[in-house]
Amino acid sequence: MGHVQNRILTTAAKASTVARSTLPQFPPKDALFTRRKLPSTAFVPETWASIQPPPPSALSAFAHRIGLPSVLDTNEIILQACTHPSFLRPYRRQYPDAPAPETNAQLAPLGNALMGLFASEYLHAKYPYLPTRVLKAAVTAHVGPLTCASVAQEMGATPLLRWHRTVRALPKTPTDPGLLHSDAMASIPRSIAALIYQRRSLLSARQFVHSYFLSRQVDLRAMLKFSNPKKALLEMVDKFGRERPKSRLLKETGRFTNSPVFVVGIYSGADQLGEGFGSSLRMAEYRAAEDALQRVYLTRTPDHLIQLPTSTFPVGLGDVFRTDAPEGKYTAPSLVMSEIMYLSSGKRKPLRIYGVETGKEQTPA
Amino acid sequence: MSAPRLLRAQLRSKPANGHVAFIPHIRKLVFEYCDKWPSSAHTRSFLLTRLQSLARQNPHVEVVVKQRHHKEPIVRGFYANSRDKVIPLNSLEVSAIQRKVDLLLDSSGAKIKPLKRRTVESTTEATRGIWSGLHADRPSI
Repeated sequence: MGHVQNRILTTAAKASTVARSTLPQFPPKDALFTRRKLPSTAFVPETWASIQPPPPSALSAFAHRIGLPSVLDTNEIILQACTHPSFLRPYRRQYPDAPAPETNAQLAPLGNALMGLFASEYLHAKYPYLPTRVLKAAVTAHVGPLTCASVAQEMGATPLLRWHRTVRALPKTPTDPGLLHSDAMASIPRSIAALIYQRRSLLSARQFVHSYFLSRQVDLRAMLKFSNPKKALLEMVDKFGRERPKSRLLKETGRFTNSPVFVVGIYSGADQLGEGFGSSLRMAEYRAAEDALQRVYLTRTPDHLIQLPTSTFPVGLGDVFRTDAPEGKYTAPSLVMSEIMYLSSGKRKPLRIYGVETGKEQTPA
Repeated sequence: MSAPRLLRAQLRSKPANGHVAFIPHIRKLVFEYCDKWPSSAHTRSFLLTRLQSLARQNPHVEVVVKQRHHKEPIVRGFYANSRDKVIPLNSLEVSAIQRKVDLLLDSSGAKIKPLKRRTVESTTEATRGIWSGLHADRPSI
């Protein structure tokens, strides 16, 4: 299908359809011509349709689809979770006298904070050796805006979302789009997490986040990027107090042909740390060093040994800090060797020091 | 070799529906029938007898009934991937209509691809590993 047809379909999918059975009167009063002293603004059917609420059957079906009919028991609360604060503007323009609808402006940031908490504690417990930058990127991959928007779309919340595409009055860049559809969609699962926290407990909200977000597939290997894996491995091995790494050629085939294959293993004494292949000796050694680092960084705690700090909160409804309920069991895991600081500040070039008197630059020893 | 940057706004995860929690793909089922024409007779009978129990057993589906005058009856399923499937009901009896509705309820909404020419697709690595001649034992006679 061509680009134009795709765009038409996606626009049509995002446009709202109004169920006539849910309307008290059709055609709506605003659409009919009435003689008024003051002229009123023209009636735009698309704007009117985008303001109408989705049918109640769609809202209750949504609650059942995500397995939360007991928590999201009223249609009003589901509608509140699906209403982005940008929706207030077109609503007030159409119905200036009507009471403002409830939005998820307060629920979404609360849910976002809870999701960040649950994701970071879980990923830190699951991958104790992961570098900090990669851990932060992994948290974003699991509960970030794109994933939240994707989860909302899989839940079938696209026709339920009430929002308005607002362009910024003072754009940050010339091509700043303002509010994105994905950001508005992302607010829905965050609001649901916040609602579960408010109506049930923190541990129930944690269960929701674990089921829908932390079970998704994220490729952590692609997030680990090394500019000099041999040097990083050398520093790591020194930190662990082992012998210096030595690379040895294990197998080779096709040397001096157009498709050689070398298999290099990198050893610390008698222990093999990593193995890599390549069409050149240096490439194979590079991959072996990368493999050794990945084997350490991607070490995973088995599921039955994962201890989460939020498990100390008492089970049941009520304030998590109440003293009458017993605390959950938690045995602190042993501290692991801290990450290698090589190039961890994010800067690629080494620090340069400029001498005051001579004006020449000196690199640190 | 310089390390390319991780752009936070592009970080995402892939779905794993069913690994822990399962979200059914179907979200809405729309029955369109005609009040007068005989081609909709079985559909009308289905709507009068079996529709309510169907809606009760599938609370995750929004069931809509619409009139479509002087046209053949259809059932349309709307899915979470924003696609829809349409099945005409004009030559089907009530039990066959039930089977078609079950087909729509179980479907994911994805386009039907022919299975014969496709290669194996997987998001995870091979569980048995990929054979490597350089790592296997040398053949011995």
